[in-house]
Amino acid sequence: MLVIKGLKVRVEEKQILNGIDLTVGKGEVHAIMGPNGSGKSTLAHVLAGREGYEVTDGEVLFEGRDLLSLAPEERARAGVFLAFQYPVEIPGVNNTYFLKAALNALRKARGQEELDAMDFLELVKAKLQPLKMDESMLQRSVNEGFSGGEKKKNEVLQMAVLEPRLAILDETDSGLDIDALKVVADGVNALRDKDRSFLLVTHYQRLLDYIVPDKVHVLARGRIVKSGGKELAKELEKMGYGWTDGAGKKEVTAP
Amino acid sequence: MNALEAKNTYFSQFSDWEKTALTKDPFWIRETREKALAYFQETGFPTSRDETWKYTNLDPLFQIPFALNGDRISKEAVLPELNSLGFETAKANVMVFVNGHFSKALSGVSEPSPKVKIRSLIESLSDGPLKKHFSHILPFENRPFVALNYAYFTDGLFLHVPAGERLEKPLHVVYVSTNSGQPTQSHVRNLLLMEEDARASVIEHYWGNNLKPYFTNTVTKVSLDKGAVLDHAKIQQESPLSFHIGTLAARQNEGSRLVSRVFSIGGALGRSEVETVLVERKAECVLDGLYLARGHQQLDHRTFIDHLSPSCVSEETYKGVADGESVGIFDGRILVRENAQKTDARQSNKNLELSNKARIYSKPQLQIYANDVKCTHGSATGQLDEEALFYLQSRGLGREEAKRTLVYAFAGEMVERVADGYLKAPLQTMVKKWMEEKMGGKP
Ligand SMILES: Nc1ncnc2c1ncn2[C@@H]1O[C@H](COP(=O)(O)OP(=O)(O)OP(=O)(O)O)[C@@H](O)[C@H]1O
Ligand SMILES: [Mg+2]
Repeated sequence: MLVIKGLKVRVEEKQILNGIDLTVGKGEVHAIMGPNGSGKSTLAHVLAGREGYEVTDGEVLFEGRDLLSLAPEERARAGVFLAFQYPVEIPGVNNTYFLKAALNALRKARGQEELDAMDFLELVKAKLQPLKMDESMLQRSVNEGFSGGEKKKNEVLQMAVLEPRLAILDETDSGLDIDALKVVADGVNALRDKDRSFLLVTHYQRLLDYIVPDKVHVLARGRIVKSGGKELAKELEKMGYGWTDGAGKKEVTAP
Repeated sequence: MNALEAKNTYFSQFSDWEKTALTKDPFWIRETREKALAYFQETGFPTSRDETWKYTNLDPLFQIPFALNGDRISKEAVLPELNSLGFETAKANVMVFVNGHFSKALSGVSEPSPKVKIRSLIESLSDGPLKKHFSHILPFENRPFVALNYAYFTDGLFLHVPAGERLEKPLHVVYVSTNSGQPTQSHVRNLLLMEEDARASVIEHYWGNNLKPYFTNTVTKVSLDKGAVLDHAKIQQESPLSFHIGTLAARQNEGSRLVSRVFSIGGALGRSEVETVLVERKAECVLDGLYLARGHQQLDHRTFIDHLSPSCVSEETYKGVADGESVGIFDGRILVRENAQKTDARQSNKNLELSNKARIYSKPQLQIYANDVKCTHGSATGQLDEEALFYLQSRGLGREEAKRTLVYAFAGEMVERVADGYLKAPLQTMVKKWMEEKMGGKP
């Protein structure tokens, strides 16, 4: 599904990613943990195609295609979805309008018929319900004035509607109350599928109690310094990231 | 031609023109024409040294000799064209002027109340209330284009809504410029008299399908008596090589309400002025404006709200978008005079520059001489938000569609503020079409 090889990225003359190697298989869920400023969001942004990042080395293959050569919208149409750590407020753009335009752009790219307003509304209402989101959210401007938790839920709603093949969730659990965390986790689990992969960026082991990952990676100083099974998250919770430092120095990179 | 040569040309054309065009003018009108012309000759065109014309380049206007004898009849059918722009003309009173001349054949006015007058101004010169209002309200001093208009006007709208009466249907006045074989100038003069508690909704629509250069110079005077309500919209949709200069000047008595909306989209050079004097207490005005400039267009807006009396409310919102190498200008002055206690004045001007060669000049001015007032103003000019663009793209919207979405989110507000009805859908179409033409990937 996703193969990242030796990815090095610079932002404004500052080297942030120092050679990332990561392979996410079809249907797998990988968690990425790591200290603040280690480059997790940078990786997520580079995968989604945000401007301002200079890839100095390495490559990214998504279902065999060179992902880095695609425009952001082409990546979305190919099935890549990023749930933003900080979702953007867009005053004046109606949430329903936006979701419908996005879904229809993707459907068009997939050769499917575009949905009309009625069919779309039915679909989106069905997706809203399990997320315990109020229908009035649909009538508001995209993320404008949404609470932190509401913004995160709105990201999950978009993911549920757009049904990506690879979903990258950048700290979607941060800022959620306990109930909301459960709701969001259920939302993700409902989408788990043998053909759909997830990359979960998180600081908290708790999320991984709900969404059990196949693999856990630790990103530090722009590198993956440790990889393991779901137990790794528990060890990190107990011992902190300091514990991974030695591994980092030895340049041990898990396959 | 430079400004001086142009002035002399505009001055000297009068003597030939009056021999043929002014044969039916009553004496008192002839007198105002001559006075205005003399004033124009004395002052000439504004220069960039004039504060209110600082950012506007009039040179292109001076380069073209515009003839005064535009066709009086349109070769094209106007109503079908309006319908194709989205106007359901069957639901309005439609008045059509062709190159400044009233066209009865193209117009359709059916207003239930016999007391409401919707007329050609030039055919109403013997009307009592018209005569009373004709020369005062707006002096031409310091307004050379108004003076030019007073000298050369050929016709315009005369609307008189007597006390307690209302216009049932919106009045859609269309000023069409058609190709007369050579560049032409036309000067239209409108007079809107709203007596006590009168109500009306009027659309001044300047529209050209004339691909030759032409010059339209307009003056609209509005008088609102106690409690009168006028909903006024001006759509400046002239064709690409044209020049449009227009002024709306209102005086408002107690408790009256003026809503003025300006939509500027056409012309090589378009200047729209709106000014209102809140003469008596509790008068209210809403001044909205939207300008969408592209290519080498200059779209210029000047507003002036004169708070003369206590407890008046003014609310002004102008938004502009400039693409290509265009220039957008907003010069908005609010004067709160000593006597105007309890004034509530709000002004906002926001602009979006879509290219780095586009220029926006924003000049809000708040002058307050009363102490117990509530006044706010704000002005901001920026570019499209890259974060928001990326967010939209990351969900599958193409970059151009993402841009259009953001531009409509910005500009569309001025259209969405219009109440549902005759005007809204055509405005939505107009703005969306502008974005598609401008931002559909074409250079
Ligand atoms: N535009 C930028 N200009 C300069 N430095 C940047 C820029 N964007 C990111 N960085 C730096 O890159 C480093 C990695 O940032 P990134 O957002 O990827 O961290 P993160 O792992 O997501 O952290 P967190 O856990 O706090 O979200 C940080 O030191 C950050 O300051
Ligand atoms: Mg981050």
